[in-house]
Amino acid sequence: MGGMTRSVYVLGAGAHPWGKWPDKTQLQLAHEAMNLALGDASLAWPDIQGLVAASSRFEGGMGWGLHANEVVQSVAEQGIPCINVGGACAAGAVAFQTAYALIASGQHDVVAVLGAERMPKGFIPRPPGSPDDISDSDYLRWVAMGATNPAYWAIEANRRKYDFGTSDETLARATVMMRNNASGNRLARFRAATSVEQVLASPMVADPLHLLEICPVSDGAAAIILGTEKYTRKTGHKPVEVAGCAIATGDFGDPARRIPTVSTNVLPNVSHTSEVVNAVNRACEMAGIGPEDVDVLEMADNTVWHLLSWPELFGFYEPGQGDWMLDNGKLEIGGQLSVNPSGGFLSFGEATTAQAVLQICELTWQLRGDAEGHQVPDATIGMSAVLGLGANGGSVILKT
Amino acid sequence: MMAQQHASTPVVEGLFEIVAGTPKLIGSRCQACNNIYFPQSLSCRNPECRDKSVEQTFLPHCGTLYSFTVQRYQPPPLFRMDHWSPYALGLVDLGDGLQVMGMLTRIALDEIIIGMALKLVVEPLYSDAGIGEKLTYKFASAEGAWAG
Repeated sequence: MGGMTRSVYVLGAGAHPWGKWPDKTQLQLAHEAMNLALGDASLAWPDIQGLVAASSRFEGGMGWGLHANEVVQSVAEQGIPCINVGGACAAGAVAFQTAYALIASGQHDVVAVLGAERMPKGFIPRPPGSPDDISDSDYLRWVAMGATNPAYWAIEANRRKYDFGTSDETLARATVMMRNNASGNRLARFRAATSVEQVLASPMVADPLHLLEICPVSDGAAAIILGTEKYTRKTGHKPVEVAGCAIATGDFGDPARRIPTVSTNVLPNVSHTSEVVNAVNRACEMAGIGPEDVDVLEMADNTVWHLLSWPELFGFYEPGQGDWMLDNGKLEIGGQLSVNPSGGFLSFGEATTAQAVLQICELTWQLRGDAEGHQVPDATIGMSAVLGLGANGGSVILKT
Repeated sequence: MMAQQHASTPVVEGLFEIVAGTPKLIGSRCQACNNIYFPQSLSCRNPECRDKSVEQTFLPHCGTLYSFTVQRYQPPPLFRMDHWSPYALGLVDLGDGLQVMGMLTRIALDEIIIGMALKLVVEPLYSDAGIGEKLTYKFASAEGAWAG
């Protein structure tokens, strides 16, 4: 990577449980997550030298995505830089990357990262500000064909069935695994065990994906305090270092069906979901590791298809092998690769901009041995991977 | 049926045209690198292309089904469709590296097969007394209809 950089550590992590919280504002959720993270780091607001927040389009941030400013003004107006970053569902990873850079560069010693979200009910509405014409894909996909988000993922899943013979039972088993993992995680929203039969009996949304195979939306908030080595020694925790951290965008020719577009230019030898693959590859290069070194992967499982395909795309194993890995328990907690011990988006529901921050909280707890009820034994290297609208990808690698 | 007061028009202007009875999707072609885009684009998107200027082009109207799904839930209100019922959405390979999504029609939902030959058609999506009949493009089975 070149240049002089300082090592950066996770000093503290905190998250409000995921769910529907009609009696709490987005700002309250943000406060609670920040307080938990500060407490975890044995720090308080006067110690915070900067705040980077994921900008949400749904609630808070004074309507301008100024979520960091709003929090600071409501609790500690102390002249610190407030940075608000967009990245849609990957915004939390962009925020983390930004905070990391502020410390690695030597500019600040302790910086907080925040993602707090209250989601609207039902379908996510098309945002304002775009013209009702052919230049806006999000308009076109609705009026010309009514393509819902699950339809995009279902098209991928159906092609996987065609390419690899993935069965409906294997797809359902991914949800079963996520619920099993979530059963021990008090932060998860859906913690009841389920069965392949129950998943397949849930309503079909977009063939071959059933309701229980698609993540719903939730409210939630997560915060992380990053700092230098000097500060991590004061926390009393086992040090958790940021070994790799990268954000990326997509490559031209990527065959992924990218929401909300209605066409894809497909070129040979371009990775599927390249924005996330690019981020993962860069994070690995920075950390000096390969996928085989990773003990725990927290990845965006918007659907069961993602759980089967993403580890393959990242090079954890060959394309098509995900079915065997899942069917044989290799992806469970303590398996060959523990995937989403938290329970994943399928058990949390997606609180869009908070999700990537939560992933990194989870990795922190796993590496410290603090993942009560869902601990991966002897985890020393954890990786996150997330995707956001606009071909935003993010990945963070933590090590202890 | 009475003659309509309004002409039938595309659900979005600039999406397709009917040329000598054959529907054609309107896209853009890069004048330098020849990549094609749908819908019409402001610029070429190929990062290796230094020219970037595009011109309007018609896309091939036949292709093969790469993948599909059946939408079982009615999409939110921005989507309008008379007589709603579950329908298939396909991803169709039109050649030249371009895959286009669209509704499938004139095929039973349980007879859709990846790899099947499809052709572009235009069908009414909904009618509105104020604005007339709105048309969208769809893909139909091309069985026995290959134009070459």
